[in-house]
Amino acid sequence: MRHFKSLIRPYLVWSFLLIIIPLLLIVLYSVTTGGNSLLNIQFTLDNFKKIADPIYRQVFLRSLKIGLITTLICLLLGYTLAYVISGFRERTQTTLILFVTIPMWINTLLRTYAWISLLSDNGVINSFLSRLGIGRMSIMYTDFAVILGMVCDLLPFMVIPIHTALAKMDKSLIEASYDLGANRRQTFWKVTFKLSIPGVINGLTMVFLLSISTFVIPKLLGGGQYVLIGNLIEKQFISVGDWNFGSAISLILAVAILIMIWATKKIDTSEGGER
Amino acid sequence: MKKIRRAAACLLASVLLAATLSGCGGSGRVLKVYNAGEYIDKSLINEFERKYDCTVIYETFDSNESMYTKLMSGEEYDILIPSDYMIERLIREDYLQPINWDLLTNAGNLMDSVMENAAYDEEHIYTVPYFWGTVGIIYDTTIVNEADLSQGWNLLRNTDYAGEIYMYDSERDSFMVALKALGYSMNTTDTAQLEEAYDWLVAQRDAMEPVYVGDDVIDNMISGNKAMAVVYSGDAAYMITENRNLNYFTPEEGTNIWYDCMVITKNCTDTELAHQFINFMLEDENALKNSEAVGYSSPVESAFEEMRETVYEGISAYEPRFGHPSDEVFGYQETELKKYLADLWTKVTAY
Repeated sequence: MRHFKSLIRPYLVWSFLLIIIPLLLIVLYSVTTGGNSLLNIQFTLDNFKKIADPIYRQVFLRSLKIGLITTLICLLLGYTLAYVISGFRERTQTTLILFVTIPMWINTLLRTYAWISLLSDNGVINSFLSRLGIGRMSIMYTDFAVILGMVCDLLPFMVIPIHTALAKMDKSLIEASYDLGANRRQTFWKVTFKLSIPGVINGLTMVFLLSISTFVIPKLLGGGQYVLIGNLIEKQFISVGDWNFGSAISLILAVAILIMIWATKKIDTSEGGER
Repeated sequence: MKKIRRAAACLLASVLLAATLSGCGGSGRVLKVYNAGEYIDKSLINEFERKYDCTVIYETFDSNESMYTKLMSGEEYDILIPSDYMIERLIREDYLQPINWDLLTNAGNLMDSVMENAAYDEEHIYTVPYFWGTVGIIYDTTIVNEADLSQGWNLLRNTDYAGEIYMYDSERDSFMVALKALGYSMNTTDTAQLEEAYDWLVAQRDAMEPVYVGDDVIDNMISGNKAMAVVYSGDAAYMITENRNLNYFTPEEGTNIWYDCMVITKNCTDTELAHQFINFMLEDENALKNSEAVGYSSPVESAFEEMRETVYEGISAYEPRFGHPSDEVFGYQETELKKYLADLWTKVTAY
């Protein structure tokens, strides 16, 4: 088997070129001024000082809030869905999981545009409501629209790891719990949920990371006044052309995410130890 | 191991085959064109390819700024179609090569008025006009009272229409509106005036709760979701043909009059083909086709006149006004000013 080791080398070179070097460039851009060309750079910390401006702090806080709400809703819906699915026969489960993943075969942008035509003031939902005599509601460009779009987009990332954890669980443990006198609720919290925690943590991390850095969905469903970190970064790179400030924000976001992953890993291993 | 090698060889061979096949679309002449999205009649590209036996690689951008960013990252094109202020930047930064007007046999088709009004490139050394127009307000005649139009840009702060407004999510266009409403030049560099414009936009945001949008404004206005929006004249002309309840007006305080032009980059090697492309777009028939598909006003006289009398008859948006003393063309902005405006705009939108 040893000679297969050399097969890794091209991959190492590849990941160095495509992952490590761009990351280093972001770090370099974030502590310099001088625009996009790296010919006449000067080192500075102004880019980071600028983030302390209340308006940017607000953008960070709003992204965090939207990210947390989305993750929480995904957890509630995703867990229920995964739990229900794992109760079926194995072959039915495969089909049901397939249904969960089918939306992912379609591009996010298309799915978001579909939401626009459903939610807009003269869209499908509103014409249905007005036909029922309830009257129209303004749904587009609100928190509700953005969170709805994000939850629908990210739900599979929550369902799949939780379902995997639930499906590989040994069912005889549940029987044992009943035999020992636990009721249904006790069995769920003390056995089923506990054993699915690794899946839950995987799902939480994935959904949270994706929701905190997204920019397409808030832009399309929330309008231009819905500025999250992702939108701010996109703007700095594409329309303002201030790559230095954009890199500084990206770097802070990356560090924040790293800390969160590290924290969840800690929780994960301490939970595992308890078991 | 042998199997892997054979598989790799097969893969390599098929990639090479695909590369050669895609390469032999013609005599090997290739033209790379970079234009804004939804801004050309695509059948014209095929026609050009057939006529001159070449391959056109056609790519699109969503804003002048993203086009500039892509150029900065090292991408190379032969022909670009940016707006006036961006062209000024590209000229200053030495990205363009002069047009050889002798090769453009159809140059006589261009309207004099469009050619003369060109602060971005007075002598047209680098630029050949492609489309032109103004920025104004499109409104729903069933909701907006025509008498209110006399308020000009301040119509956008008339609280009768609170919650009924779309603004462009772009600092350039929004600051233009505010500066014009206050009676200043939109090319001002005076920070006091810019601060005042910022306050105008913040007050508008708080009182009117506008939605800041991009190109989605087109579909939204056509389906009548809100009463008014700040838009480009060509988009307005298109929207009106789709929804006859809409109308367009350009406020008396003045507006942005803009020109999008075809330019040839320094990297272009086959300049003959590039000139042929520009000349092709200036042909009467092709300009007409293009203007009809896109909705923007053509700088080619015959096409402009014909469209005005047929498809866009009675639609003022197709006929941008000329010679209003307060109308201006956007000029070049220093990077520092651009950053300053971008910061102010973030503060307006991300409250």
